Amino acid sequence: MTPAGGAERGRTYRCEGLTLRKASIGEADLVVTVFTAEHGKVRAVGKGARRSSSRLVGHLELLTLSRLSMARGRELDIVTQAEVLDGFAEVKADLDVMTRGLYVVELLDGFGPEDSPSPALFRLAVNVLRALPSAAEPESPLRYFEFHLLRLTGMLPELYNCVECRKEVEPDSHRFSVNLGGVLCPDCRPLEAQVRPLSLRAMKVLRLMHRGSLAEVSALGLNPSLSLELKSVLSGAVRYWLGRELRSNAFLERLHADTRS
Amino acid sequence: MTPDNLPSAFPSLARLVQELNRLPGIGPKSAQRLAYHIIRLPDEEAYALAEAVTAVKQNTVYCGECQNLAESTPCQICGDPRRARSVICVVEEPLDVLALERTRSYRGLYHVLHGVISPINGIGPDQLKLRELLERLADPEITELVVATNPTMEGEATAMYIQRQLGRDDLRVTRLARGLPVGGSLEHTDENTLIRAFQGRQEL
Repeated sequence: MTPAGGAERGRTYRCEGLTLRKASIGEADLVVTVFTAEHGKVRAVGKGARRSSSRLVGHLELLTLSRLSMARGRELDIVTQAEVLDGFAEVKADLDVMTRGLYVVELLDGFGPEDSPSPALFRLAVNVLRALPSAAEPESPLRYFEFHLLRLTGMLPELYNCVECRKEVEPDSHRFSVNLGGVLCPDCRPLEAQVRPLSLRAMKVLRLMHRGSLAEVSALGLNPSLSLELKSVLSGAVRYWLGRELRSNAFLERLHADTRS
Repeated sequence: MTPDNLPSAFPSLARLVQELNRLPGIGPKSAQRLAYHIIRLPDEEAYALAEAVTAVKQNTVYCGECQNLAESTPCQICGDPRRARSVICVVEEPLDVLALERTRSYRGLYHVLHGVISPINGIGPDQLKLRELLERLADPEITELVVATNPTMEGEATAMYIQRQLGRDDLRVTRLARGLPVGGSLEHTDENTLIRAFQGRQEL
């Protein structure tokens, strides 16, 4: 039986999967978590996949998009065949870009639903990973990903009307509240709101993220303070909804600190 | 029967099952089977097992140079005057040293990191023996660093991080070759490995 909401999976099925997580079990097996368009997050065993002579080796690497043949198992499915479709070699060629790729992976693992079709989120993740190596502002694809991850999981930030009084907000007189999920006008001061200022420029970029394409957002040249503001708003929102810090972000910030020193 | 519902009249057995159950790859059933096997062992064999566990815990230290697990510091390899002291091969785990030693083709020294940088799992440079490696590399006698972390994404991340942290231009930094495994087949090899295998092709 497939849980409610999941696409029907037969005894064997094929899918494209992005590897999010890998853990060793037994002598030479792997348990992988893959994100698929048809079934959301799926956990599966690659038998013998840690042996260098295994047919699966290299095809189930982290941050790799593979075509998978799977067999339904009692608890975990079994990967019977795997073939790399995109190894994101350019992402993995640079430590900073790779860490940004891992941030995407960690968010997918945190927000991605299990056993539920997620074609839009799947496409978004693959496109963002492909955009990472050539973005004008290295982190803007990540902000685009955070924004649309929130949208696709039902937590789209409100950018036009005050989340409290519903009045349309005036340019340059608004603030942003992560826990209320959007902008606040100057008159509304709900007690429970965690509020931060939001500049007009940041608001414009957020609105562009809503309407614009990944290519448009990736081509934007942002100055460091605007970049930082957007990161604070969007990373703050995903962190709030996830309920924990993102580990890959800590490493990314360390790399930035190393570069500066 | 799990360790929790073993008869309370047999607490020492329950405790042994519980301890065995903590070992990697040992589930509750295997733990029970092993525990009953140990009970049936002749006394001297059971005591020898217990003594071996105690001795390995008491006698194991980190080698002050390569950070490998050993019974003395410096360890046998670091203390061996026949080994080339100008080359350090950096590996993830002590078991990797054993694997490379079995080849008998490398005669330099090692450095064991005891892990690998894994941003997703929150494992950063500070949790590894990286600072110790950088201290060793300040010695001008060392002319080559062989980075032998696994060819996984985390292994590559670690290799790139090490390269960034090196403060010396005169140090030769090499990475183990990646390519086709003996007994493997082209058909089932992933594209990244095939690209590397092509790049690293050699004269027949």
